[in-house]
Formats: sequence, C-alpha cells, structure tokens
Amino acid sequence: MFITDIRKEFYDVVVNQRVALLVSSEIDALCACKILQALFHCDQVQYTLVPVTGWQDLGTAFLEHKEQFRCFVLINCGANVDLLETLQPEEDSIFFICDTHRPVDVVNVYNDTQVKLMIKQDDDLGVPSYDDIFRDEEEEGGNDSGNESDGGSEPSGKRSLITLTFETFHFRREILFDYEQYEYHGTSAAMVIFELAWVLTKDTKDMLWWAIIGLTDQLVHDKITHMKYVTDIATLQRHVSRHNHRNEDEDNSLSIDCMRISFEYDLRLALYQHWSLFESICNSSYTSCNFKLWSMHGQKKLQEFLADMGLPLKQVKQKFNSMDMSVKENLREVIEESSNKYGMKDIRIQTFGVHFGFKNHFLASDVVHATAALLESTEKDDSPGDNFIKALDCLSRSNLERLHGGIDLAKKKLMAIQQTVASCICTNLILSQGPFLYCYLLEGTPDVKLFSKPMALTLLCKYLLKAFVRSTRNKRCKLLPLIIAAPMDVEKRTVIVLGIPPESETSDKKNFFGRAFEKAAESTSSRTLHDHFDTSSKSNVIVIVYIFHKRADMTHYRWALFSIIELKMEDRTKFLDALITLLS
Amino acid sequence: MFCEKAIEIIRELHRMGDGQLPAFNEDGIRQVLEEMKALYEQNQSDVNEAKSEGKSELIPTIKFRHCCLLRNQRCIAAYLYDRLLRIRTLRWEYGSVLPTNIRFHMCAEELEWFNQYKKSLATFMRSLGGEEGLDITQDMKPPKSLYIEVRCLKDHGEFEIDDGTIILLKKNSQHFLPRWKCEQLIRQGVLEHIMS
Repeated sequence: MFITDIRKEFYDVVVNQRVALLVSSEIDALCACKILQALFHCDQVQYTLVPVTGWQDLGTAFLEHKEQFRCFVLINCGANVDLLETLQPEEDSIFFICDTHRPVDVVNVYNDTQVKLMIKQDDDLGVPSYDDIFRDEEEEGGNDSGNESDGGSEPSGKRSLITLTFETFHFRREILFDYEQYEYHGTSAAMVIFELAWVLTKDTKDMLWWAIIGLTDQLVHDKITHMKYVTDIATLQRHVSRHNHRNEDEDNSLSIDCMRISFEYDLRLALYQHWSLFESICNSSYTSCNFKLWSMHGQKKLQEFLADMGLPLKQVKQKFNSMDMSVKENLREVIEESSNKYGMKDIRIQTFGVHFGFKNHFLASDVVHATAALLESTEKDDSPGDNFIKALDCLSRSNLERLHGGIDLAKKKLMAIQQTVASCICTNLILSQGPFLYCYLLEGTPDVKLFSKPMALTLLCKYLLKAFVRSTRNKRCKLLPLIIAAPMDVEKRTVIVLGIPPESETSDKKNFFGRAFEKAAESTSSRTLHDHFDTSSKSNVIVIVYIFHKRADMTHYRWALFSIIELKMEDRTKFLDALITLLS
Repeated sequence: MFCEKAIEIIRELHRMGDGQLPAFNEDGIRQVLEEMKALYEQNQSDVNEAKSEGKSELIPTIKFRHCCLLRNQRCIAAYLYDRLLRIRTLRWEYGSVLPTNIRFHMCAEELEWFNQYKKSLATFMRSLGGEEGLDITQDMKPPKSLYIEVRCLKDHGEFEIDDGTIILLKKNSQHFLPRWKCEQLIRQGVLEHIMS
C-alpha cells in the first residue's frame, strides 16, 4: 500500500525498532541511504546496512537477516516484483520500499499489511483499480459492486489480502498488460527521503546536497525526462533558497569552510572544472556527437568552434583551474553563444554546485560521475561490496581524496567510452540486424573490462546510438533500437547484453518492445540469468527473462521488462537469431 | 667525579621505553645517598672550621660540595617521580591488579603509593555520575555518543547485544550499535568505527 503520511506511517514506526536497510547499488540509492542514515543517527535508531546488487543478493541478504529483524527498508529495489512471493517472509515482517522503478507491481500496491510503498500516489503511476484486476472466486455478498475509483478499494468484510492467494486471482489480461508494458523511473529516492527529513525539520545542507546528487544521477544516466528533471530541480531550488536564506540573515557571514549550495546554469560538459576544457569537450557525449569528433572533419570543426570563441588552444588544453581569469570570465555565455551557431542549443543545463573551503567546488554531475566510477570500478581485488563502501564514503565531505580518486577514474572511463565509440563507428562495428542495430564488443577491445558493468555499458550504449544516428546516412537505421553485448566474465564465459530504445527527440523515457521474449530464451534454451533490478533508465526491455519464481497458473506471460541480462557466450548467436525472428 | 652515579641511574630509567618499569635500583640509590652523606659530612666539618678559624679559602669548596648535594637530590627526586608517573599509567592500562612481574619491579613504598592511588581513583569514580559512579577507565577517549556506526571488516558471524538480539556481522555491512558493545571488537580489528 502507499504511505500517505511518511512521518507517521514510516518514521514513527521504525524509530523504535531495529531496521535492516537493503540498498541497491545505484547512486540514487546511495544518496537516499546517506540521508536516511543521518536521520537514524539523530534519533539513535539501530540499523544494519547491507548492499545488494541484484535479486539474488536481495534474497540471500533477506534470508540471512530475517531472523533478527522485523522491519526492512528497501531502497531502489523490490517495488516492481511481487515481493512477498519472491522473499516468502514471515507474517510479521514489514517492508518499506522506496523505489524509483516503475511500474509498481500490483500485488505490492494492494497489500495492506506487509508492504508499504514510500511513493506518492500522484507520482504518475496509473495503477489499475483494485476491482479491475482482482476478482475473487467466491463472490461474497456483492462485494464487486461499488467503487470504480482509482486508488484501490479494499475488500470489505473480514477477507484480507493474504487469504486471496494467487490462485484465486484472475488477472484481467489486457489491463495488466497495458499497465506493465511500460517500464520507467519515478521520483528520485533521495528526494523522497529528503522530504521526510524536511517534514521532520531535521534536514541539513548535506542532506540537500545528497538529494541533488540523487536527482542528477537520474539525469546523467538518462532515467527521467527533461521535463521531470526541470520540475524536480524547481522543488530542490526552493529548498536551496531556504537554506541559503538562513545564511544571509546573520550579521556575520558564514565562514568559508561552511558548505554552500548554489544554483548554476552550467555547461553540459562532463567534469570540465576538474579537467581541461578541451578534454572535456572531446569526451562529453553531447559535444562529441554534435561535432562528430571521431572523424577528421569533426576535429576541424572543433578547432573552428574554439577559434570562433576566441579561446587560444594553449589555454583550452590547460587544466581548467589554471586557465587565465580573462578567459574564464564569461566562459559560459561565450560557449553558449557559439554553440548555438553550431547547432547545440542546450549546452547549458540547470544544476547545482557546492562550495566548501577555498579549493573545493563541485558540480552535482561531477560527483555523480565520480561515484559511478567508484561504484563500478574494475580494479583488481575490488568486490562489489568494497566498491559500494568506497562509493558511499566518497559522498561524505570528509573524504575528499576518495572523491578526487573517483573523478580520476571517471575521466578514464569517459575517455574509454569515447575511444570505443570512435573505433566502433570507424570500423562499422554496428550492424543492422533487421529490426534492431547490434554491436558486439570483442574480448580484445581495450578497456572492455569497464563495460562489463551495467551503468558504464548503458552510457556507452547511449553514446554509441547517438553517434551512430549522426554518422549514418540510412534513414531507416536512425529509428532503430540498439542492442549491445560485451563480455562480462571471461572465466565463466558470460556475456552481458543490453538494449536501449531508438533515439528520438521527444522520447518520454518509456518504452515498450513489441513482444514477449520469454519464448526467445526458452525456445533456444539459452542459459540466461536476469539479476539486475533494471538499471537502464527507461524501460527498453528487450528480453524478458523468465524470473525464477514461476506462477503456477499464469495464463499469460509476464512481461518483465528488463533491459539487461547475462548470457552464456555460446548461446549468444542463437539467442540473437531468435530475437531477430521475434522482432521482425 | 661526583654525581655520576645519580646520572647513571637516570640514564638507566630513560633507556627503558615509555611506560615500561624497570626494577627499582635499590643499590644505585643507596650509593647516591652515601655519596650525599659523605659530601654533607665533609661540608659540615669545613663549615665549622671556616666559622671558627675564619678560613675563607674553604668557602668555594663548600659551595661546590653544596652544589653536588643539590644535584644528587634533584636526580633522585626526578628518578622517583618518573617511576611514579609510570606506575600511574599502569593503573589505567592494566586495571587495579598488576601483573606479578611488574610488581617485582616496584619497591615497597611504590606499592604503597600505588594502593593509595587506586583508592583515590576509585573514590573519585564513585563520586561521579550519581549513585552508581562512572568507570572512566573504560574508554580510551571521551565518547561523543551512545551509538556509533561501525563497518565490518571481516566475517565474524553472529554477535549478541544487550537486549538479546543477534546481529550478523558480515564483511562490508554497516551497523549502528551501542558503543560499549563495539569497543572490544574495534580493538580486535573486526569492526571499524566510521566517522562521517
């Protein structure tokens, strides 16, 4: 069920108990976790934090902790699958889920007792009403007559949802199909938890900064539409002004070491203040795709662009902090003006920056890139748990060296992405397979280890598609989706496959891929594993993998939309063939 | 030369690193005291002579011997005081019962002093914190909060806390637990205190 008053129904319930926090490995989840931890520290709520990377991890973590905890808080995991059936908990376990994945599974929505969703009901959900999808076998006393109202009318009488086991449900196929065909993301979890902090009036600037990072993560990894981003930025801007207003009231202004968040209308160049301007332009997907920097022609255009702005090459190739003040002064406006001439209309984007101390100035997107690089670092001896801890640490202000380390890793990652894209385009590695475009990264490709991780692979995939659309002349190809496969684990010989929807100007970040692919995996008996919670921004589920829990009476295929699966290497080709046949 | 023995016993004490208590150098002290006695007696007779016979040539010698006496006194006082300080830290490190090998290194008076110090400390601790008193020898630094956040560095299995609940300590999990339960594990290196 949806929680209406987050303070009474969630916080006041957990504050007297010990809580298990199960947090997914995403930046938004990390930020939400930090805010919640800070709140728990204030009120001395004992908790245990367990990182989870996928459904298997979630199951294991739950099994390990179910004896000791009654309250579980799940962050960015668990809403889009029937949780009670997956985890099989005891009767008295309560789950509080703060998840951005949509659509929320209907069983989770209509469960009264054990599953509480920390999601606003008006958050663009469109959940079908109760009576439309659940119909009880034994019709007791005219229960069905009645509300068509949205928002789930509950069965009257003593019948509780628990007695309505799945055997007695009759899903109305089409309604459910329509509801679940789209997969997308909702409001950032960090923002939801920040709002809780605000309601408790325990919000601090640190928490606000984390909420900003959570939102920016959704933008950087393309999980929400631009409209939603702008709306959420406006919400956060109100909080920022409220916090800043407090500073200006005092007679003595705050010391330099205090944290100050400011609204910036800044450039869409990744990490440009921690790099040189030239490198940043070359390695940001927006500018690189617009100039087509993988070709000689593109490089020349870039030089023209720089000349047009009057920026000497020597300055532009220097570290940003060492550039001349005269050059830096109106840099943003100058760049915006010139970009308009070159067809880049939105090179500037609304975002926030933070200052503390004399040296430390970070934009929200810088922190997102750094944290993502740390979270998915492929250095040796780094288990996913270690990476989670490092990424969590780098969000604290006291761990600046970690953050700088993360920025360095992010630079390497962006450069690797740029080079891979350039080589793929130049060597025509992207093939049109009919209904979709396909690219396979061979094992020997440099930096291919980086792309065994979902977030990095997603960035590469989007960048690649954008670049391809710009470089190809084939009109039909421009409207096709892209599937990319990269080796995941060389010893186990698995491949990670990811798909994204076609590139379009007005995408609403929801997508639906024509048909059920369960058959594809089944018919070719490919050994597949779907483990990810679905980290790809908007739906684009290419393959529906048969989830490990099977409903006995399922009369239709569950269209689980997950865009990422793992495959065994040998099965790759036949799987793709099956996909082609299915999609065409 | 005079005062050399005194310097020697100080050097011996200084050679042992911080906190360690070497055996009480009974012999050395006795020798220094004897030297002081001899010097004093010589001075005494010389002073009498100078007074009665007016021999002012003796005065520099007297002054010199006096300086030596003062120097010896100072050395012995420093030696004894330093040992006392070391014994005091032993109370904080080991608790109220000292290991036997250390007790052998203390002389009778030092043991007596130790017992008195223990009593003083106990009275003081009892006077804090209302009726029950407060054991201030428990924490290494003054604690800032009741609960601390700890991160698990290795798999430790199950861990029970005061109210009976069991916590599973798995690598890379973080917990928010009462401080006093975690101290032991932090010292062992299983948990790490996180300060954010």
